Amino acid sequence: MNRAWIPVLVLAVLALFPDVVHACPVCFDARDENRQAFLATTAFLSLLPLGMVAGAGLWLRKRTKEIDVEIDSEAPSDR
Amino acid sequence: MAAQSAAYAIEQRPEPVRRPKVMADGVMGMLVFVFTEIMMFAGLISAHIIVRSQVAGEMWPPYGQPRLPVQETAVNTAVLLVSGIVLVFAQLAFQKEASRARLPMLIALLLGLFFVASQGTEWVSLLGEGLTIKSSTYGGFFYLIVGAHGLHAIAAILGLGWAWYQLAKGRLTASQFGTVSVFWYFVVLLWPVLYLNVYL
Repeated sequence: MNRAWIPVLVLAVLALFPDVVHACPVCFDARDENRQAFLATTAFLSLLPLGMVAGAGLWLRKRTKEIDVEIDSEAPSDR
Repeated sequence: MAAQSAAYAIEQRPEPVRRPKVMADGVMGMLVFVFTEIMMFAGLISAHIIVRSQVAGEMWPPYGQPRLPVQETAVNTAVLLVSGIVLVFAQLAFQKEASRARLPMLIALLLGLFFVASQGTEWVSLLGEGLTIKSSTYGGFFYLIVGAHGLHAIAAILGLGWAWYQLAKGRLTASQFGTVSVFWYFVVLLWPVLYLNVYL
């Protein structure tokens, strides 16, 4: 067998044991407090920009509707 | 004949409705800037929360580091909040008659100056007690977060001062006032969040 395949085989075998690698700080941490802090801040940083954009969009929609009503009330009637 | 009817149609065409702007350009620009600043402070707060959670609960602030002046800063927080409320009154007065906003705007400005001066005094005191940006992560986060807010507060005060000068000269527009106010409200409303996170 060609020796060049050995590293590939080793990597393939290692891939069968993902539980050994605890590199994800959000998934695994000995201290529950730390894990919760990672989860909370991940959620916070993910939702904050979405919330701000959604809030701005809703406000713009509301304001545009108000302006439409103002324009309609100021426009001279055809009748 | 065709040309005449086309000219008639153009003459009879109703004037296009010019839609008013949803908000002033300056206010819109400032809001976009404030959104980016909110994300920056959100990142700093998140980093602080994580570092704090990695230390055993009872050891924050770390042993040997000076305690932050919680009560004095609570008073400062109240002063800053009052400053924001006074600026709301200034904006309401400005809508009725521009010159009426002069006094409340000046009061808001002076309260803001008081806040920054008090924070500066607090920093000098803490530095004297040994809390520096390099003394611990505690000190590092304190000066980074509170310092970043302080820089924003100084910039907002300069903006308010400029706006007050323009108002005194009778040249302040509603758009300029709105733009400066948005930044001040950001500085005011952000501070209680930082206070709860860093001081308590």
